[in-house]
Amino acid sequence: MIIHFGRWGLLALILATWQWGWNLKPTLGWLVPTVLDPYFVSKPSIIYNRFLELSCLSLPKGGWAFTDWSGFTACVGSPKGSLWTHTLATLRNTFWGFLVGVTSGVSVGLLLGRSETLAKIFEPYIVAFNSLPRVALVPLIIIMFGLGDMSKVITALTLVFFVVFFNTFEGTRSVDRDLVNAARFLGASNWQVTWTVYVPSALAWVFASLSPAISFALIGVIVGEFIGSERGLGKVIIEAEAQLQIADMMVALVVLMTIGVSLVLVFRSVERRLLRWQRHHAERT
Amino acid sequence: MTAVRVEVRDLTKTFGSGDGQVPAVDRVSFDLRQGEFVALLGPSGCGKSTILNMIAGLIPHSGGSIRVDGTPVQAGKVMPQVGYVFQRDTVFAWRTVARNIGYGLEIKGMPKAEREAKVAHMIAQARLKGFEDAFPLTLSGGMRQRVSLMRTLIMEPQILLMDEPFGALDTHTKLEMHQILLELWERERQTVVFVTHDLAEALTLSDRIILLSARPGRIKEDFTVPFPRPRDAIRLRETKEYGEVFAKVWHSLGEEFAVTKAD
Repeated sequence: MIIHFGRWGLLALILATWQWGWNLKPTLGWLVPTVLDPYFVSKPSIIYNRFLELSCLSLPKGGWAFTDWSGFTACVGSPKGSLWTHTLATLRNTFWGFLVGVTSGVSVGLLLGRSETLAKIFEPYIVAFNSLPRVALVPLIIIMFGLGDMSKVITALTLVFFVVFFNTFEGTRSVDRDLVNAARFLGASNWQVTWTVYVPSALAWVFASLSPAISFALIGVIVGEFIGSERGLGKVIIEAEAQLQIADMMVALVVLMTIGVSLVLVFRSVERRLLRWQRHHAERT
Repeated sequence: MTAVRVEVRDLTKTFGSGDGQVPAVDRVSFDLRQGEFVALLGPSGCGKSTILNMIAGLIPHSGGSIRVDGTPVQAGKVMPQVGYVFQRDTVFAWRTVARNIGYGLEIKGMPKAEREAKVAHMIAQARLKGFEDAFPLTLSGGMRQRVSLMRTLIMEPQILLMDEPFGALDTHTKLEMHQILLELWERERQTVVFVTHDLAEALTLSDRIILLSARPGRIKEDFTVPFPRPRDAIRLRETKEYGEVFAKVWHSLGEEFAVTKAD
């Protein structure tokens, strides 16, 4: 109860300060920091209206999308409603970068976790590549894969891969030897041991890496879009910066935040289902 | 005479190498016959678990030989007629009770209907009815160890190796486990090697107690346990014979405890 009250109260306080704080500048003077200047941070009311416009929820010719479906689709198709195009592009690239990054991270993690020899062979390469800030690779990736979606997917994937890989690798290596032996005594082959002991044991580790992996996928895509792209929320932000359209930038940021939060929530529920054998999950359900 | 299932000859194990060599097991020899329930008893650190693990092929031996049904044991190679119950809790935490017990049959590719019938039978025998769909973390230690035991027994191993399987349980739960194990064993009469440091447990369960000396493990004495079967794990301890045999083995075991303490 007090937590809910505190959470919503804090939100109201932040929005109110953002909206009206600057109006108090003449009276309070230096107590109101310069960052509250709407020139830098816009205002919630302006951002809200801009969001309605850019999302085509309020139509350019007047009226609401909820009552005028054809007007809405026409608006989404036009350059005015490009927020949808940008958001979808960012989402799609994030999704593919995440999916391929997680799949490859889990596969390579399992493979190297199971084979001491392979792990030794690849170790220096992985350490070297991992210590390189992947963002520094973005210009190269754009030269190699172009300004289109592919370069964004590749950037996201290089970021996601390592987080997931290291977790899967550690998870696989820390599997209880006695569990493996128990499975062998019950007749399991190497492949069956991998599938029925290593994978489920490592799953908790894999899941621990998925929330950060989502963030990393988004970071990869956005940075790729910053440096060179045809569309995407990163491009919206960079263009808004160039034109000093702070409200547009804020809209893009809010959409990004919403995407991030929604994806993390989805993964939490999947995790709870798949890891329901763990005590803390069992207690929650 | 019944057939020899396990033949151990001059079995030796040293850990480490060069100057740091530590002998753990020193020239141990014994035979296990079909249907014999043998307890390996000794103070902690005497190498009894090491002997068991060498028979199981979990670790290589340094000298001597082990044959199971005439075939030399190789480390890392599992023999299909051998079942192993670990000291530590090794149930698969991500599988329910029923799916833990059915694991080996599932791996073997047994059809679901047939498998489930067998699992249900095992669950009833282990007094786990009603817990089929529970995950291990919600069970008590005794229940988890019963799941482990049934998961092994469902594969119908003819030779059962048990490494202090009830060591972590309280006295009451232990007695309950003894009763269940005795009932199950009466029916199948597997050849069992049971490692323990608990003399009462060894007397309750086994036909024969191989007493090991303190490190390095050597066979000190080989006792026959004369109690008739079927046994009642609780009533047995009230008999006069039990007290007599207990005192005899206890004296010998006590000498080894003294050696361990003097180290």
